[in-house]
Amino acid sequence: MFSVHISRARVLAGIRSIPITVVLMLFTLIFIIPFAWMISLSLRTSGDILLNPYGLPLNPRWSNYWKLLFDPAIKFYQYFVNSIIVTSLSLLITIVLSTLAGYGFGRPRYEFPWRSALFGLLLFSLMLPHQILYIPQYVMMAQYKLINTRWALILIYGSLGLPVSIYLMSTYFAQLPGELEDAARIDGADDLRTFWHVMLPIARPALATVILINFLSYWNELLLAITMVTKPSLRTLPAAMMNFVGDIGTDYAMVATSLVAAMLPILILYILLSEKFIEGLTAGAIKG
Amino acid sequence: MTSSVQTQRVAAEEVALRKVRRPWGGILLFLGPAMIYYLIFTVYPFFASIYYSVTSITPVGGKITTTFVGLQNYIAIFTTDDVFRQAVRNSLLWSVVGPALEMTVATALAVVIYFRVPFHRFYRVAWFTPILMSGVIVGIIFRWVFDYDWGLLDSVLRAVGLDALALNWLGRLDTPIWVVIAVHFWATVGYSFVLLLAGLSAIPVDLMEAAYIDGASRLRAVWHVLLPLLRPTWVTVLILSFMGKMNAFNVVWALTMGGPMHASETVATYIQKRAFGWSTLDLGYPAALSVVWFCAVMIGVFVLRRWLQPKTD
Repeated sequence: MFSVHISRARVLAGIRSIPITVVLMLFTLIFIIPFAWMISLSLRTSGDILLNPYGLPLNPRWSNYWKLLFDPAIKFYQYFVNSIIVTSLSLLITIVLSTLAGYGFGRPRYEFPWRSALFGLLLFSLMLPHQILYIPQYVMMAQYKLINTRWALILIYGSLGLPVSIYLMSTYFAQLPGELEDAARIDGADDLRTFWHVMLPIARPALATVILINFLSYWNELLLAITMVTKPSLRTLPAAMMNFVGDIGTDYAMVATSLVAAMLPILILYILLSEKFIEGLTAGAIKG
Repeated sequence: MTSSVQTQRVAAEEVALRKVRRPWGGILLFLGPAMIYYLIFTVYPFFASIYYSVTSITPVGGKITTTFVGLQNYIAIFTTDDVFRQAVRNSLLWSVVGPALEMTVATALAVVIYFRVPFHRFYRVAWFTPILMSGVIVGIIFRWVFDYDWGLLDSVLRAVGLDALALNWLGRLDTPIWVVIAVHFWATVGYSFVLLLAGLSAIPVDLMEAAYIDGASRLRAVWHVLLPLLRPTWVTVLILSFMGKMNAFNVVWALTMGGPMHASETVATYIQKRAFGWSTLDLGYPAALSVVWFCAVMIGVFVLRRWLQPKTD
């Protein structure tokens, strides 16, 4: 153990080089400046911005945010609520289906001849781009008169994250010891109870990853959002943002405020839980 | 003693029994709902796209009219569609330049961070941030960054006296696709970097240690030990990056909408326009486009795998 420690320390002995640090810092500025600039713009007035786009918000106008959130002409809150409804219900679909299926695919008890073939079929769809699915999905929704309802988005989003989520859940369930199941069964629990009361609570870390990666992808989705829903009052945030720029395009301060307000919830969560985010999204990248 | 043998025998019988009698109820209960959902919303649309591609299909109101047209859509795509040709040219350029740039930079960054440079945690968090943002937000921010009159880039160029380089990046015909490539790089390089770093961290440190004992310098150890061991991960990340560029939609849509005059059109934005933007009232043709492009991406992935997968000898 001790020798491993020494070797690790020696191998990974940090590079301390000023040129490298300077290059990395400059490179990192490219990632920070656009965000900082947006935050600065969001706290100023459009007239002020036109005079000097790069002035600092010396008297921050927090009222931009109040206006954005409560002005009935902008309706930002409505889009925000739409996004929350669509994202949470579609997440619910994905979670229920993927935890059940992940359990069925992961545990040896439910082995049957075609199971791995079925799992392969599921993973194959990770190669499918949206483009090859969404035209028939549109026709399907049109046939059931669901275009311009939130249901169109909820139902389809629910299927988007299914393969990744089932994969993540099943690999997690697969590595749990079988004794847990056996103990529950001896206590008289049936399959569903064993799953719900014994196995699912243990799989919480995998569940957290599933929630995180799907939340991000559903919350940020654009292609389906502008295709299935064209009615302004039902738009989700990304779709509404596209139109903001057209509607209030010259009101730079308000556009910047809406951009910051739309990314702020995720940004705050990320600053608090950055390791969890990075780990979760790394786990979500399955070998293609 | 006997009782333990007995229980063992009972357990063995139980195992044998379990092998014969599968818990079909449980299997159906756990796999059924997800597989049915998957059939309806993923498998069916996939085959429907292939079927639509040989038809002319018009949805008006709730009514769908379908006419079989044979290979007509495909013939039109390959013979008369100039916009498609432009979109393919852009997408192919992007799928070569994009992953090449991204993999080079991401690999360099991953190696540097692997050796724990000062502030490595800070860098990692900063580079990863754009991944979490909607492509719409990224697109709108960079519309402003590349604005001719007051954009960040041109303002900086003018401030340092390079007025000649201060172009109307998004308004010309030759630069927009490069802006799209650059912005998408900005948005996704952090992801490739993190995946490569995870790959590096999984390599046993002893191997590097052995290289040092043999007298290799750090640079030589990286080149001859670390990078060859990273190769399987590297190929996977490259393929993810390639597929990402071939199918990217959000950032392009928010940044340029494929314009001006199709200068930054990609196949993904073109399919969207043909299906829902131009009121052509025909979904068969865009379906054929999507099938053609899906095959192109599959061939690309296959070639990359074949070409780059380490040979087992």
